[in-house]
Amino acid sequence: MSDAPPPKTRIVIGIDLGTTNSLAAVRAGKEPHVLRDQGADPLTPSMVTFHPDGRVLVGATSKALRLEYPDRTVFSVKRLIGRSATESKNDVAELPYAVVASERDLPRIKIDDRELSPEAISAMVLKEIKANAEQALGHAVREAVVTVPAWFDDAQRQATKDAAELAGLDCLRILNEPTAAALAYGLGGKNDGTVLVYDLGGGTFDVSILRIHEGVFRVLATAGDTRLGGDDFDQLLAQRILQLLPSKQGTEGAYVLQAVRSAAEGLKMRLSEQEQATLELDLGDRGQVELTVTRAEFEASIAPLVQRTLDCVKSAAKDAGLELKNIDDIVLVGGSTRIPLVRARLEAATGKAPHTDVNPDLAVALGAAIQADILAGNDRSLLLLDVIPLSLGIETLGGTVQKLILRNNTIPTSVSEEFSTGVDEQTAVDLAIYQGERELAKDCRLLGQFKLRGIPPMPAGLPRILVTFLVDADGVLRVTAREQRTGVEASIQIVPTFGLTREEVRRMMIESIENAQEDYIAREAIEARAKAEAMVRGTKKALAMAVLPPDQTFAVHKAVKALQKLLDANAEPDLLKSASEDLTKVTATIADDVISAAVTKSLKEDQQP
Amino acid sequence: MIHVPAPDAFAVFGVARTLDLDEPELELRYLKLSRDCHPDHNRAQTSTDCVAVLQRSAEINDAWNVLRDPWRRARALLEAESQGVLNRNKKLDPMFLMEALELAEEVAHADSDGQEVLTKKLNAAIDADYQALRADVAKADFDTAAKRVHQSHYHLKALHDLEAKS
Repeated sequence: MSDAPPPKTRIVIGIDLGTTNSLAAVRAGKEPHVLRDQGADPLTPSMVTFHPDGRVLVGATSKALRLEYPDRTVFSVKRLIGRSATESKNDVAELPYAVVASERDLPRIKIDDRELSPEAISAMVLKEIKANAEQALGHAVREAVVTVPAWFDDAQRQATKDAAELAGLDCLRILNEPTAAALAYGLGGKNDGTVLVYDLGGGTFDVSILRIHEGVFRVLATAGDTRLGGDDFDQLLAQRILQLLPSKQGTEGAYVLQAVRSAAEGLKMRLSEQEQATLELDLGDRGQVELTVTRAEFEASIAPLVQRTLDCVKSAAKDAGLELKNIDDIVLVGGSTRIPLVRARLEAATGKAPHTDVNPDLAVALGAAIQADILAGNDRSLLLLDVIPLSLGIETLGGTVQKLILRNNTIPTSVSEEFSTGVDEQTAVDLAIYQGERELAKDCRLLGQFKLRGIPPMPAGLPRILVTFLVDADGVLRVTAREQRTGVEASIQIVPTFGLTREEVRRMMIESIENAQEDYIAREAIEARAKAEAMVRGTKKALAMAVLPPDQTFAVHKAVKALQKLLDANAEPDLLKSASEDLTKVTATIADDVISAAVTKSLKEDQQP
Repeated sequence: MIHVPAPDAFAVFGVARTLDLDEPELELRYLKLSRDCHPDHNRAQTSTDCVAVLQRSAEINDAWNVLRDPWRRARALLEAESQGVLNRNKKLDPMFLMEALELAEEVAHADSDGQEVLTKKLNAAIDADYQALRADVAKADFDTAAKRVHQSHYHLKALHDLEAKS
């Protein structure tokens, strides 16, 4: 017992916010563990159903309703978050629910008259995870580490942070999923060396190469594809099934699409276990399918996608300055790594059998919980050093991108550049920030416009504006600017191309607080009214039964009338409350306890409808 | 846009300003500095402190990137010894430039057999460049050293292009 560490004063949870499933974990002692309701599945489906009766259902309940409400059940928003509507067009075409483009060309999920951002949907999933974690821990949770694919760019990271904020979570860190998995794998120091994490999830693929040395986990290089995952394998099978069904439109079409998706996923899973699998799908008057697929056929169809992951593996090794044969161990993460072809190809490419001690579904959340514990200040023996996955640059003359920060630089990292003005008295400079590896701005992603304001008016070329670009430990860019001659701090207005503006996040937060406030006020009003009505009824009854001195009878009558008048006028709860109190005072002074007995009885009856 | 030089990497690491750093020792020093200064272990209370911690951590990471690469280390050393020395010595000998041009041609047209020979030749040239650089620095002849750095750039680029071909 003497070995037991002192109880931790600060608990931060780790959340794996996945494309298909999400889960939370915590590190209470040395080893982290997943948070779940007793006996329940720790994986919460990242799904939200907007029931026609107004309820919003998240997780397993939502998944159960996906066939009943195919066009009202939202999933895979991780493919949309932090991206433009135009960019997500192909993904949207495969979704059974409606996605429209906002004024700023951002994807918005359309349910009846409501248009919801992917951030808002992710926030609902995070809220559910938070509530489940609180249930399991038995206390409130405010702080969390949330994981993202390593290959997520600045906009996608920021959007995920916004979702956490909307869910009422203080997101201490955006952590890369493969790095998290490496933490879970390397904890305890048994596995010091060079490790390759191959993370093929539902919607994204990442590969990271790390060096683990005495508690320091250093990412050497990362590569990946944010639009490649198990869902794509399902889709290939789904296409084959759909060809055998009569085509449907609208809600019918959404139903068929959703049913076929589920069937395809099941078929894929069976093909990991057996050499061939037969699907019998009966959609009633919407059609029937019987389809037998052999593993060889399935493998042939997914082979090009698997090859794409191996190209990423090679490129990561090159960036890390390593040969694949120098990798000591291979860690598999994500449900899609159960596919035999994936394992076989990876083994052939690296010449090493993958390590299988880590549960591919849980490793990311467990690692996030370890990082959460480090950030809570509970463990100084461990340290993560991660990298920025994509280069950051600035547009220069002629539409080329001048790289400022190169990919695979360890973060935090920073660079400073000096800018000046081109026109006399110019007080503002606009900078366009791009992320990507290509030379031309049009081939990279415009993250946003940074507008430097408040430059003191001077002749052209005289101001010396020192702009510092700092990528923080979340992999998110921060820009600061100062005019060197005057020392004036230039203000920076950021106009993000993707995701929510600061103003939108602020508004959504206020709305959610206001909603909570409104709910509270509404409930309070109903309660105040119900109580006042019961008091009026009870007092009237008592008055009829009791024999009181005339002056007291008059006082009680007066108080009852006053309260009744307020009730008739639909008065504010505050007024109802104070009038109810007045009535209580008057009746309390009466020696005869008949009145109070009658009132109490009436109140009780009222509480038992 | 004018690039603002990063702080002297040798000073950030607190190591002697020399080309011949012990690399394993340097790496251990990097890990120790990271442990001491990383924002994960230094949760700042105010946003100003938070930026300061991030800046310090970024300085260490960026200095590590410079020091671990022999050529970037050389550039940092020359800049620290004599500010602007690299910019002042950009003009290279026309004879050398002719040779560099021929080398680029050779790389562009090399077949797979030629590639191997050329890789060896380039690696030897780069080694020779560094030896010469070391000698220049020992004599505190930073102008010649700066020219040497610029020349090596052509060899390094040729090697890079050659690797990209295969």
